[in-house]
Amino acid sequence: MAPSSGRGHLLDAKFVRELDALGRRLEIRARSGAMGEHTARKRGGSSEFQEHRSYAPGDDLRRIDWAAFARTDEPVLKLFRAEEDVVARVLCDASASLDFGEPKKLEVAQRISAAIGYLALSRSERAQLFVGGEGLVSADSPTRGRSGLVGLLRRIDAIEARGKTALAEAIDGLLRRAKRPGLLALVSDFLDAGPVTSALSRAASAGHDVALVHVFAPEEASPELSGDFTLEDAETGELVDVTMDAQAIEAYVARFSALGDSLRSFARRHRASYVRARTDEPLESVMRRFVARSID
Amino acid sequence: MGSLTLLSPSGLALLALLAPLVVFYVLKIRRKRMRVPSTWLWASAKRDLMARSPFQKLVAQVPLFLEALALIALAFAFARPVSRSDAASGEHLAIVVDVSASMSATVGSSSRLDAAKKLARDTIASLPPGTEVMLIAAGRDAHIASALDRDAARSKAAIDALAVEDVEGDLGPALGLASDRLARLSRGRIVVITDGALAHPDALDGVAVPIEVSLVGEPQDNLAIVRVDVRGGTDPATKREEVRAFLVLASSAKGPRDVYVTMREENASDILASRRVLVKPGEKLPVVMSFEPTPGDRGKGLVFDVSPHDAMPIDDVAFGRVPSADKLPVVLVSAADSGPIWLKRALSSDPSVELSKGKPADVADGAALDPGTLVVVDGACPDDPGGGDLFIVHPPEGRCQGVEIGKPIERPSITSWSPTDPRLRFVSLDGVGIARANALTIADPKRALVTGRDGPLVVDASRPGRAVTIVGFDPGDSDWPLKASFVLFVRDILEEARQHRASGVAAGTRTGAPLLVDVPSTTAMAELTRPLSRAEPIVARGGLVVVPDVTRAGLYRVAYDKPVRRTIVVPVNLASEAESDLRRTLAPRSQGPVTVHEAADRPKAYADHAWLLALLALALFIADIVWLTRRPAKREAARKSATQGAP
Repeated sequence: MAPSSGRGHLLDAKFVRELDALGRRLEIRARSGAMGEHTARKRGGSSEFQEHRSYAPGDDLRRIDWAAFARTDEPVLKLFRAEEDVVARVLCDASASLDFGEPKKLEVAQRISAAIGYLALSRSERAQLFVGGEGLVSADSPTRGRSGLVGLLRRIDAIEARGKTALAEAIDGLLRRAKRPGLLALVSDFLDAGPVTSALSRAASAGHDVALVHVFAPEEASPELSGDFTLEDAETGELVDVTMDAQAIEAYVARFSALGDSLRSFARRHRASYVRARTDEPLESVMRRFVARSID
Repeated sequence: MGSLTLLSPSGLALLALLAPLVVFYVLKIRRKRMRVPSTWLWASAKRDLMARSPFQKLVAQVPLFLEALALIALAFAFARPVSRSDAASGEHLAIVVDVSASMSATVGSSSRLDAAKKLARDTIASLPPGTEVMLIAAGRDAHIASALDRDAARSKAAIDALAVEDVEGDLGPALGLASDRLARLSRGRIVVITDGALAHPDALDGVAVPIEVSLVGEPQDNLAIVRVDVRGGTDPATKREEVRAFLVLASSAKGPRDVYVTMREENASDILASRRVLVKPGEKLPVVMSFEPTPGDRGKGLVFDVSPHDAMPIDDVAFGRVPSADKLPVVLVSAADSGPIWLKRALSSDPSVELSKGKPADVADGAALDPGTLVVVDGACPDDPGGGDLFIVHPPEGRCQGVEIGKPIERPSITSWSPTDPRLRFVSLDGVGIARANALTIADPKRALVTGRDGPLVVDASRPGRAVTIVGFDPGDSDWPLKASFVLFVRDILEEARQHRASGVAAGTRTGAPLLVDVPSTTAMAELTRPLSRAEPIVARGGLVVVPDVTRAGLYRVAYDKPVRRTIVVPVNLASEAESDLRRTLAPRSQGPVTVHEAADRPKAYADHAWLLALLALALFIADIVWLTRRPAKREAARKSATQGAP
């Protein structure tokens, strides 16, 4: 199914076909608690039978399986699997640090965010877009159904990279607004010295199914620099003098790897997923790993 | 090995480049500015790096360290650090440097004196601290270029100031001087630096102080003008006056030399005469050249040149002077109108005399006569007569030219005369009778040429630059004019005047000897122009200008203004066959009080470490280049690690 929006650069036909195939395999481990199309882990009121149990005083008499009572003379309640609504919340980092790479990291993050939103809406679930920067920059209302895709894509397309990063504050802001748990997909380059994993832990504790998408450019992973540089931070303007020699680059790469390690470790601890998205990598592959809830 | 010292401390001036180098590095680190997504990881990586290797900060400065070290090594290499040994020990050392003409011989652009200076500097540099060094320049005479001194810098400055003198060398005075100064000092030693081409090789013998002779330069072929004589004469064929130059060429070359000998006037490009000659090895070849002079040529300088020049150009050129006219001008001055008939006859008997007459007033008070003119005065004694030699006959009583003329003496008999004086050559006064004579009184009895029973009758009253002869009686009052000895005496006077006129100088036309130039006795100040130099004032005393230091061959000029402006050109030549022989007269020997060795074989008094430092500097520069062009070795591995991510 092709997207109904004109944002072809976010979701092209081939990508959409891939997403349609992947959508059936997407498992979201958190439920919002509202009635919906997804079966919940807890028992509840729906048409799908789960099991019987003995009647206890106070139980809803309407749930007594009278046919079973007639056969067994034992009042039992007929229990059904509860069906809950699922909200896929996408927190897209839009700090100035994403305005780098070829293609730009923000562009990749936008496409991934759009893809996650598409997956949710194509399954008749709700999708909600949050934009992070120095805190929570914006929070859209949840949209449902394919009809909300155009609006979602328009809002994603309007995201611009600017300002500093404070992912922890953005996550906390999101948690304050999201009363019910759901899928929390954080698409970011994670170049933030703040307590990001702590905020993510709080989200996981709140029942959110956390999915981390780490967007990075190849030159960030392995810089091809040599000589003396004064590096200027795109967000803070801070200057750092570095002599790019083998040792300096080795130390940087170690730090970059450690950043990935810390996110990977968080994902393992909290049954979250962690997908690394290199900007020169095909997004189909990234989304395949996302749907599979893998830890890269 | 002893203490380290620097032979050329000026090389350390290179260290001044350290300042601009450091400034360059301070200013240089013009880092490329680059905008990155975040400096967070880079700052963390930098901290990691600092923690892991605290000296990492210095890595960026490695090229600076390498270049600074290389510069320091290079500066010290230029400063020539050496470690001394005892080979040149000695508390008092006299260095005698031969500065004679042969030391100007060159090989390429370097002369023997250059090699001698270098050796002298090295010798001083090799001495242990506290050694007193004296430097003596040995030309024809010796002079102390630097007195005994512990300051090596002063001694080296004195060495630098040494210059070759165009003189025939003699080490004797220099060794005598050095020996005299060192005789009373402990551990005295003399180092002689010479080319070994000594005109007087026996000068090394008999010196009380040990002598170490270092020979510089190599034996070389040479062809030299060793004799010059320029005379006037008459061409027997044309009966016209001509100037003849007699040269002697001496060859110390191994093979024959085909050369051109040319004669020209000074400051003129036209060749007066030229000869092509082939000089065989060891031959002394006389060369005669002549030309017909014009009156304007008289007294001008002549330049003789042997071309092509060889290793020693000084002796390839010689100098002469166009002599005066052939006939000697003679002025016969008499107080009486009749004049001295006997004198006139005797003077006229010489066909090369141009006789003129005059009164005493005509020659008195420095009259403007030709300096070569012989002034003959009869019966008078003019004050300060002009001209050249002076011959006074029968002066009046009183003081005359420093001689007291006394009362007449009757019949003074001649008792003795001085036959060795040129004026009495071949003259015999036996049987000469004198009727009357004035008594002559002189301070120095040795200056009596003819002595009678009552005192001198003929005296020599010469003073520097002028021959003066006084006869105390009238030849007419004797029978001397009737004898041949009177004519001979007058002819001797004429001949002496002719010789003085020919040279124009009283003495010395060779380098190294004082130059005496006749000037009018009234001249107090003259002007001396040395070869290739500017004019300088010089004092004249008693009709003589004395130039004591004649160390350059060439044409000297002495000019004076009174009574008339006149310039006398005096040719001065090396003219030394021994000095022009550039072969060794000294052979190496290692035994005895005098040791002789080649400069290259001189025991090294120090070990030179300059080459080691130069090598170190080169290695540091190479390391610098390697560092600056290195490639990070772990880049690839790091890239893989970051791209794949650790599980």
